[in-house]
Amino acid sequence: MAPSRGPVPTPRKLHKTLANHKGPVHVARYAKGTAKYVLSGGQDRTVRLWNPELGTEIKSYSAHGYEVLSITVAHDNSRFASSGGDRQVFLWDVMTGQTIRRIPGHMGKIFAVEFNEDATVLASGSYDSTVRLWDLRSQNRQPIQTLEEARDAVQTIHVGRTYIATGSVDGHVRTYDLRMGELRTDFIGHPVTAVVPSQDNQTYLVTTIDAHVRLMDMTTGKMLNDFKGHASSSYRIRACFGHGEATVICGDEDGKVWAWDLVDAAPLQPNPPPKVHERVVTWIEHHPIEAGEVITASADGTVKVWRS
Amino acid sequence: MTSRLKRKLNDLGVDTASSKANESFCLIGTPLPPLEKSKDTGEFVPLWKQEVRDEKGRRRLHGAFTGGFSAGYFNTVGSKEGWTPSTFVSSRAERAKKKVARPEDFMDEEDLAEIRENRKLVDEHEEMEFGTAAEKRKQMEADDQDPITAALAASLAPPPKDSVGAQILKKMGWRPGQGIGPRLTYAQRKRQDAGFLDPSKEVEGDEDDVEEAKKHMYPRRDIPVITAPRKDNFHGLGYTPGLGLNESVGYGGSTQRQSSGPQIAAGFGLGALNDADEDDIDIYDSGPGAGRSRVAFDETLGDDDQHISIGSSRGKRSERETRVPPGITQTFRDGTTVLKGFILSNKPIAEDRWFPGPEVPPDWKPNPRRVWEQSKNKENVPVGQDKPQTGSQQPLSHAAWKSSQLSADQRGSILGETPLPAKTRSVFDYMSQKDRERLESIRNTKAGAPAASAEARAPSPGPPPPAPGGLQIPHLHPSVAKAALQGFQPFASDPVKHSRYTAFLTFQANHVSGEPVDNVGFGPLPGQSMEEFNKELADYAKSATVFKPLSGAMAGRFRSAVVVETGPKIFEGLHQPDTSAEGEDSQADHAEEKEEDPKMGAVRLGMYGPLTREVQPWQPAKLLCKRFGVREPEVDMTGPAGAASSDFEFATGAAKGVSQALETPSGDVAGAAPALITASSDSDTIPRNGGRRDLANIGLGEDETQGQDILTYQRPDMDVFKAIFASDDEVSDDEVDEARKEEETTPAPLDFFGTARPEPKAEPTPPPPAPPAFTNAPLEKVDLATFKPTFVPRSDRESRKDKSEKKDKKSKDKKVKTSLMSFDVEDDGSIPSFGPSVSKEKDKERKKKRRKERHDDEDDAMWVEKPPPEVVKDLPIPPPLPPDSGEGKLASETNGNALKASEAGPPRGRKRAVDFM
Repeated sequence: MAPSRGPVPTPRKLHKTLANHKGPVHVARYAKGTAKYVLSGGQDRTVRLWNPELGTEIKSYSAHGYEVLSITVAHDNSRFASSGGDRQVFLWDVMTGQTIRRIPGHMGKIFAVEFNEDATVLASGSYDSTVRLWDLRSQNRQPIQTLEEARDAVQTIHVGRTYIATGSVDGHVRTYDLRMGELRTDFIGHPVTAVVPSQDNQTYLVTTIDAHVRLMDMTTGKMLNDFKGHASSSYRIRACFGHGEATVICGDEDGKVWAWDLVDAAPLQPNPPPKVHERVVTWIEHHPIEAGEVITASADGTVKVWRS
Repeated sequence: MTSRLKRKLNDLGVDTASSKANESFCLIGTPLPPLEKSKDTGEFVPLWKQEVRDEKGRRRLHGAFTGGFSAGYFNTVGSKEGWTPSTFVSSRAERAKKKVARPEDFMDEEDLAEIRENRKLVDEHEEMEFGTAAEKRKQMEADDQDPITAALAASLAPPPKDSVGAQILKKMGWRPGQGIGPRLTYAQRKRQDAGFLDPSKEVEGDEDDVEEAKKHMYPRRDIPVITAPRKDNFHGLGYTPGLGLNESVGYGGSTQRQSSGPQIAAGFGLGALNDADEDDIDIYDSGPGAGRSRVAFDETLGDDDQHISIGSSRGKRSERETRVPPGITQTFRDGTTVLKGFILSNKPIAEDRWFPGPEVPPDWKPNPRRVWEQSKNKENVPVGQDKPQTGSQQPLSHAAWKSSQLSADQRGSILGETPLPAKTRSVFDYMSQKDRERLESIRNTKAGAPAASAEARAPSPGPPPPAPGGLQIPHLHPSVAKAALQGFQPFASDPVKHSRYTAFLTFQANHVSGEPVDNVGFGPLPGQSMEEFNKELADYAKSATVFKPLSGAMAGRFRSAVVVETGPKIFEGLHQPDTSAEGEDSQADHAEEKEEDPKMGAVRLGMYGPLTREVQPWQPAKLLCKRFGVREPEVDMTGPAGAASSDFEFATGAAKGVSQALETPSGDVAGAAPALITASSDSDTIPRNGGRRDLANIGLGEDETQGQDILTYQRPDMDVFKAIFASDDEVSDDEVDEARKEEETTPAPLDFFGTARPEPKAEPTPPPPAPPAFTNAPLEKVDLATFKPTFVPRSDRESRKDKSEKKDKKSKDKKVKTSLMSFDVEDDGSIPSFGPSVSKEKDKERKKKRRKERHDDEDDAMWVEKPPPEVVKDLPIPPPLPPDSGEGKLASETNGNALKASEAGPPRGRKRAVDFM
């Protein structure tokens, strides 16, 4: 891979600021495929579609009655799903801007929604400490399955090809392995805000609110690396892999974007990083393909596109 | 009409709008009645809304303002046009035509209906006259009247009407006075007669008549219908009313009457004031004058005149019951009408008689004892008192009274009763034998304790009145003290007191109970008076008995707290929170809590892994698997957690076991070989044993482990195959040294198969004998570091001569214990000399394979070149070469071969090097 060249430097140059949201932006996600677009959802109950290249807003999707906390985009970019305070998952048609389906069933805020690979199943994790798996192929109103193992709010979900990983405030990362038919519960010890597996599904990054990002081994549950230095004590923040999974980047509550080397867990320069957002960085996502592009969403109401 | 049909019709040119097209030809079902008729007719309508209609639905009755009774045409008089006075029309011409008016012409519908009713064939209102009944009546009449009047009456009275049944019977040939049924022969008739008539009469007929009679058939005798008279009185069966006892028995009514008054029944006294009631009259008194009126069952139905009322006031009760005229219906008091045929009684139903109690004397006081005294053998008399002193007896408490009494058992024994067979059941009867034994043992071990505790329960205040200044040590049984020492420490919050308490307890525990005590081992605190000290000791003793842990079987059920709650310390004055201290406290508490949870502890130490991971079976929904494109896993939710993974572990663990077996020291190589055999050949059995095997698992599909055998199967080294299957030239091709060895010892290959089977099996794994392995371990690391540089010079190959020289040099350097360095130095030079040949690639592959499992072959290669002299020095056994470990073993096994091996060693190594080139 890249170790000989060293990790690709974290994009630090502000490319565009997407600032149409009124109030905090809770989530910002790249579209699938070539990822030319960004979807962001915020406290202002809207989901906005952006062109990060030009920094323009393309469309605004408003049907939510409460804040938008999570967005997931289908593999073909034709639909996306969003969820938030209104205890329903909204399934949107990207082109028309209409909701195709609204899926009620949760008893509390829905913190996380995630499609599976071909967008036939939607997983939603909620404050009611359940993860519900909805079938999008049929009109069945009942979930396919409800995962009730979590003892506290489910903050994050990742749906892999054959597994579903959930992170909960009870400090556990649960990996439901469909192929093995087993549930692996890793106790992290602190409320988990994000679980981001690596491409090879051998490791995952766990962000917890004790200001640690841990790289865990998925097969054994061992901790491979511990990234710390950022400030995180009360907000949901998210750490993700940098390009080529050579680095780990994470926004913190001071509005800084931290980057660590994956292997030696040392913070990359500049250390400490400059403050780039006024308030907590709620979401950070690296471009799935491009080497030098990162978007950050912040409670200061902006989504910023960074390039190297 | 459907649109398609419409279109079709349009195509055909039919006008769909026309009514004909829409005509329906089928009627299905019954049409519902019109809505207004389906209204509830029984519905309540207020009076002013009610309407009177005749049967044709015309409104007939109107209110005063709407015309009253209707008449004529639509409430008008006469016709539609109104009433018109009729003009005179002469009827002369029509007079002949005129019919005679019938009464029906003047009748309205109701009258006509009545007539129609009357025309019915059978008049159900008329009485049915049955044959025999009519006869009877005739007879009765005949009894009363003389024949003339009867005949007169018969002629006057209309003939009795026969009922329909009688008429039919008559038509069938029945005559009144005959029985019903087919006619009988004479004999049959005689027999019938014999049944209920006096046979003598009939049989005695004229002889000739009999002959004649036998020729005819006779009707049956009429069987009179037995009419059971209604019994509507209360007399006994067979009692003739009005007949005295004597009369009924047969004596005449000649007994004369003795007294004029009513005969009063004996047995009950009659008060002076009481009149002789009817009830009191002797009903069996048969005086002639007493007449019928005196008997209880009086014939009252008969004549009124004969009734004599007796008694002054109550006599009226027996007055004749009021005969209610049939027209008037009586009602009960609650309004319901009396059933037809019944009469209301004006007598109430039998009242209970009430006898007033005797008068209580005004100065009477209840004194039951007086009654008891009268009879000596009353059980109410207290046992203890032979002579109950009346009056002076003080009241006993219940307990005292109870204790003074005999128990049931005592009484029984006094009476000489045999005790009841059912013995009292105790808790122990319900315990198992084991438990009882356990309890027994516990009791034996703590033999002294129960008794002691009983003593100690009330810590004896010691010698009664101690001198006020003297030391007074409360007695405490050593066992109690010992137990209290282990139990709850009540004074833990006060360290001084606590230490004194423990000291006291230890003293008491060690103290022998018989000895007198004069000091406890510690004196009173400075400034503490002896009294206070005594009190303190007493407190200790008391708390010791209180806080002594439970003994015996119960003790195991409780667990005393580990943490002693010291209770809040109370400060006087306003509370000033000491944040720092509290923070520390809470932190400490937190840490302790964390300590409780091993997971949390592991997290704190960063020891993520098995400690923090839990694996449990999870059954994904079928549909979910389908959507994810995953085969539905076979999950045994009931089985132990992670059954599948454990199987997997075993599968790999088996491999590990193999490698471990291979790493056993060289001395055990021979032993290791069989181990290897079992491991490799039975590799499938190991996971099977370890894994879960039940019925549900049997079968190809269900066996989770079956695929893993294949997955985890490790291909034996190429050497094995070569050793077994390779022809000579192949072997020589690959390993020349072996070939050479074979040349030297021709039977060697045969040996492989012949001598021991394990050998070929053992061969695959290149197990370096232990000592080299040990030396290798450090070597490995160093080599790794120096490995890269070795590749560089590998390209320029040096002669074998060089190597041999170096070897010689090395052998000279035996003394150098730290062979690593020297080896390394040499290595740089030497390895290039063994630079890989064409077969290098192949070897590399093999190396990789091996490395994966057990060792680095690179090491082996190094080791092969380097240390023969060195190792030879160290060990008696010649160092077997890694690829030829089989031979090495062989050598170790057979002495003869050992030599060969040692000889073959160096050249082999050389050959191998050549090989690499």
